[in-house]
Amino acid sequence: MGAAATPALDIEDVHKSFGRLEVLKGISLTARQGDVIALLGASGSGKSTFLRCINLLELPDAGRIRVTGEEIRLVPGRRGGLVPADRRQVERLRTRLGMVFQQFNLWSHMTVLENVIEAPVHVLGLPRREAVERAEALLAKVGIRDKRDHYPAQLSGGQQQRAAIARALAMEPAVLLFDEPTSALDPELVGEVLKVMRDLALEGRTMLVVTHEIGFAREVASEVVFLHEGRIEERGPPREVLGGPRSARLRQFLAGHNQRSRAATGLDVPH
Amino acid sequence: MIDLELVLDNLPLYLRGTWTTLWLTFASLAIGLLLAVPLGLARTSRNPLINGPVWAYTYFFRGTPLLVQLFMIYYGASQFELVRTSFLWPLLSQAWFCALLAFTLNTAAYTAEILRGAIQATPPGEIEAARALGMSRFMVLRRIVLPSAFRRALPAYGNEMIFMLHGSAVASTVTIVDLTGAARIVNSRYYSPYEAFLTAAVFYLILTFAIVGLVKLLERRWYAHLRPRRA
Repeated sequence: MGAAATPALDIEDVHKSFGRLEVLKGISLTARQGDVIALLGASGSGKSTFLRCINLLELPDAGRIRVTGEEIRLVPGRRGGLVPADRRQVERLRTRLGMVFQQFNLWSHMTVLENVIEAPVHVLGLPRREAVERAEALLAKVGIRDKRDHYPAQLSGGQQQRAAIARALAMEPAVLLFDEPTSALDPELVGEVLKVMRDLALEGRTMLVVTHEIGFAREVASEVVFLHEGRIEERGPPREVLGGPRSARLRQFLAGHNQRSRAATGLDVPH
Repeated sequence: MIDLELVLDNLPLYLRGTWTTLWLTFASLAIGLLLAVPLGLARTSRNPLINGPVWAYTYFFRGTPLLVQLFMIYYGASQFELVRTSFLWPLLSQAWFCALLAFTLNTAAYTAEILRGAIQATPPGEIEAARALGMSRFMVLRRIVLPSAFRRALPAYGNEMIFMLHGSAVASTVTIVDLTGAARIVNSRYYSPYEAFLTAAVFYLILTFAIVGLVKLLERRWYAHLRPRRA
């Protein structure tokens, strides 16, 4: 790795246990600007927990996290593990990490537009008019501009997830974190969300994507990371990792995945 | 048959009573609601030092009749020398203040529990999304949790408003001429309980429907997010 530019995200040796179950056993990962990193792994491999440790929705027990060069200051907590030394710093750094959730998590009592302008106005202090302009451009970009005055419950899952992506983008984050963004969607709605994500990748956005969509990882990712039981089992360019898996576990994972995809859709996974 | 003339003759008395009922009810509801927000939040705290006292308070006021609470304040307080000599005595010796105090503490207890339920029912994902966008705890509370909890609490709170209106009838037992008090005066003057209380009942009905209408109006405004959209 060159020492030239500051990585957008630099994570060193993150550990996390829930009770006696060690979910993350030391994970390091660096995302340079424009990287699209796909995190693959069976359920329980720790990939979602890892993603949630990055913006401290889960507190890691050990490890270092740097966002655009700035390290999140963590100190030992009273009950073991780490806690933020400065809440304000965490809140500030979170604005640079846009997160998209599996369950969308839009605020149900607000319209789509209100969802998108909420944090820019109240967290970043953007003037409302500017936030609305930005939001409208983003909603147009994800293809739901005509839904701006709808409430989340009035939208399909795919539209809700695209609104959630617009909400994350409205903060102009340095890195986008996707936590299984298509797993809660009906199969026919997965494509519209993946298309938006693909466009974002083409724009050169830095993205970390926890996903089960092998096809997306193959086509869009610059790096694939395969997690198994809290460790990185394999990593590298998608062509190498997905084309010629070295470990038995990844081979097993990919084989199982192909079968499931065929069974679910009656189709082969895209090349 | 009903003696309409008797009712019409005493209409001014009933209207004064209605006014007393209205301000007593809505003043206690308003102050009670203001108290209930921090109390309801305290009830969601995991810290027993914060949660415990509020739990005891709501348990007491929901576990005893409003009438008993009013008597304890109106008759009970004057028993203590300390109270009679305190700066609060000019207020506590007044029936209207005792009623307002009892009603406020009572509705605050009920409303705090309504809000606690509504706050705890906030979808965790919505809170997580707010935190992930860099909101502080206080901002999450103010912008996400409370606005969404108030909406969930509205139907139950509408009932609480109606209960409070009807419960305020106990004010008539401590010399206050509210709507029920007016009916009692008319009854004792003319020995015609039917006319006296039926008239009060009609007034209560009208007030109740006004509250129901108010809640409906709020629901229309606040529940747009739950209504299917017209195409």
